[in-house]
Amino acid sequence: MTDIATTELESVSPRTAERTPAPRRRRRPTVGKVVAWAVMIVLLLITLFPFYWMLRTALSSNGALYSNATSLLPVDFSWGGFERVFGLQTTEEAIAQGGSGASIDFWLYLRNSVIVATGVTACQVFFSAMAAYAFSRLRWKGRNAVFSVFLLSLMVPAIFTLLPNFVMIRDLGLIDTLLGIMLPGLFMTPFAIFFLRQFFMNVPLEVEEAALIDGASKVRVFFALIIPMSVGPIATISILTYIGSWNDYFWPLMVSYTDESRVLTVALGNFKSQTPQTGPDWAGLMAATLVAALPMIALFLAFAKRIVNSIGFSGIK
Amino acid sequence: MNRTHSRRRGLASRVARTSAALAAVTLVAAGCSGTAEGDGGTAIDYWLWDANQLPAYQRCADAFEEQNPDLQIRISQYGWDDYWSKLTAGFVAGAGPDVFTDHLTRYPEYAQRGLLVDLSTLDATADIDPGGFQEGLADLWVGQDGGQYGVPKDFDTVALFYDRNVIEEAGLSPADLESLDWNPEDGGSFEELLAHLSVDENGIRGDEEGFDPDNVAVYGYASNGSGGTDGQTAWSWLAASTGWEFTNADVWGTEYYYDDPRFQASVAWLFGLVDKGYMAPFEEVGTAPNPQQALGSGRAALSVNGSWMLGTYANLEGVDLGIASLPSGPIGHPVSMYNGLADSISAQSPDPEEAARWVAFLGSDDCQNLVGEAGVVLPARPAGTEAAIEAFADRGLDVSPFTDLVDNGYTVYFPVTDAYGSISALGAPIMDEIYIGNRDVGTLTEMNDEVNAILSGG
Repeated sequence: MTDIATTELESVSPRTAERTPAPRRRRRPTVGKVVAWAVMIVLLLITLFPFYWMLRTALSSNGALYSNATSLLPVDFSWGGFERVFGLQTTEEAIAQGGSGASIDFWLYLRNSVIVATGVTACQVFFSAMAAYAFSRLRWKGRNAVFSVFLLSLMVPAIFTLLPNFVMIRDLGLIDTLLGIMLPGLFMTPFAIFFLRQFFMNVPLEVEEAALIDGASKVRVFFALIIPMSVGPIATISILTYIGSWNDYFWPLMVSYTDESRVLTVALGNFKSQTPQTGPDWAGLMAATLVAALPMIALFLAFAKRIVNSIGFSGIK
Repeated sequence: MNRTHSRRRGLASRVARTSAALAAVTLVAAGCSGTAEGDGGTAIDYWLWDANQLPAYQRCADAFEEQNPDLQIRISQYGWDDYWSKLTAGFVAGAGPDVFTDHLTRYPEYAQRGLLVDLSTLDATADIDPGGFQEGLADLWVGQDGGQYGVPKDFDTVALFYDRNVIEEAGLSPADLESLDWNPEDGGSFEELLAHLSVDENGIRGDEEGFDPDNVAVYGYASNGSGGTDGQTAWSWLAASTGWEFTNADVWGTEYYYDDPRFQASVAWLFGLVDKGYMAPFEEVGTAPNPQQALGSGRAALSVNGSWMLGTYANLEGVDLGIASLPSGPIGHPVSMYNGLADSISAQSPDPEEAARWVAFLGSDDCQNLVGEAGVVLPARPAGTEAAIEAFADRGLDVSPFTDLVDNGYTVYFPVTDAYGSISALGAPIMDEIYIGNRDVGTLTEMNDEVNAILSGG
């Protein structure tokens, strides 16, 4: 199983590409290739169009949007949406442009979001990896029973644990702190453990046995063998956790009461409809969504290739 | 081979080192971010949901703190949906506000569960004269046990918004919108107007020969959706102008009247506009109608909406906004739903007496004049209402169609009853089906039986 996966991935990895001889002359593009490229480009445009539409709406004026709803270009071009996101407008200006009267301290919220997402990701992945190691490579009494219970907890909808968690956070005195926002996901999630356990189980036993025979302790095996050999999956779960934590809305909304602990998603909720009947601040909402999504898009661009390339397992060849 | 290994190892240890460092920084930073306690003495937490009113209430808080140096007001604003989630969780965990903006659909349940303080038991609010507010507003907030659970802050009614340019293009003048009449049988002059303002794809008007109701470019009337069980902007003003009332009492009715033929005929007339081509079908507006967008984009000519939407309509670009009174119904005058918000005090507040001082100030001329001057809503005290009328006039908006209704007593209350949530959950899909055309208005009689069963059982 692992061998097949390895060879498949090896064949497309850049290192092997260097070894294959380059074609002597450029082939003329065949009809099929042209069609394939055309289809790809069309699909790409379709995929990217919603993002363009968000940008176009973000650069429009709320009042004018309705009068020209189908225009492909920004309607009555204005930086107002972005100005509101970064808190550069006075409340009077914002209200006049169809925004909300709430003040925005963008950089503070960004800082809070980074702290929460980073903290949750680093701690959760580290502790989950330890648990996954215990569940996959250590033999102990009742291991599988405990793991089954773990899997059961995957099936509990988050909404059930919301209020008990909230009451607990309050009793701990952590309401309105970043720690309170991080705590529920700080130590582990069943999914992360389950995910990592699957990969750890696939690390060849021989490697570990060799290390143990050489006198390495279990702890050393974990840090020096298992983790380095599972960089790909660990990076994958880290990114998933980071994005999930970054986009989390409801829990931070519950815990946060002041700007000190407000994260970006909750703060940008200001651009949704504030009252049951008034329409949202469309320009601000789209600008806010773009700004909030940018760090995640950047993160993905930076790591995507590395993740894909490192999912191939090294080990015995 | 070897090279790859060492590169992997390098990456792994780099990742590990970076995460460890970041985690350490994070935990330190998180530990440091406690709530800063203000030095203004006792802090009163006040919540509201309308961001547009936030600046005005901040001014109220500043004025109040000047007069009461021992108290400090902390205002938090959350959008409508988040607001109620957070408030509910706050009640459960005892982490809610001291004072909050309350809504007629929510307070009966809160009062029943003992989550609100009866304001007549607190020093600062015990002597508030209900007669100091616009007629009847304070009565809405008297619970079934006779306790006062809110001090009125503002009120809203409904009127007709239109674009003067569109009216003039149709060869009419704003004066033609002044004395409209309506009845559920033939729609009166109101329906004639809607017909004239509807234009199909070929430019033929609804009152001309050959009008195509299936391909309409401009609808005479902007849809407000199916209206759920209160139909605040959708059908309440139509049905109430026939003399129909929601329940058997102004507040705390024990029986709904959705089985009344007058109500059913009004609903049938409204949703019958779809087949005539004077109003958009359900599939165009869905469950989130946006009448201001319809008016702003020229998709519809007239839009009935509430006074809380004044600012939104006034900001529509390219629209020369006019406001007219609702058409008068079979009982000889227009009728609008009359609804208002109030400030309530949470039973969990550790400082109810201090909170009451703030609530009394919110309900005083001092604060309501400040709110009126902001020109966002119509405050509950007559002086505040006047201030708002002036503020709107400065922006070229004549809001008398909203305020005249109250002065003349042409109003019907929002239905304040028990079990509103369950009734609404039952009724909203049924009203949607009627709008879609899958259901006959006669079946509202069965719905009424179910509603009353909920009410008597609840």
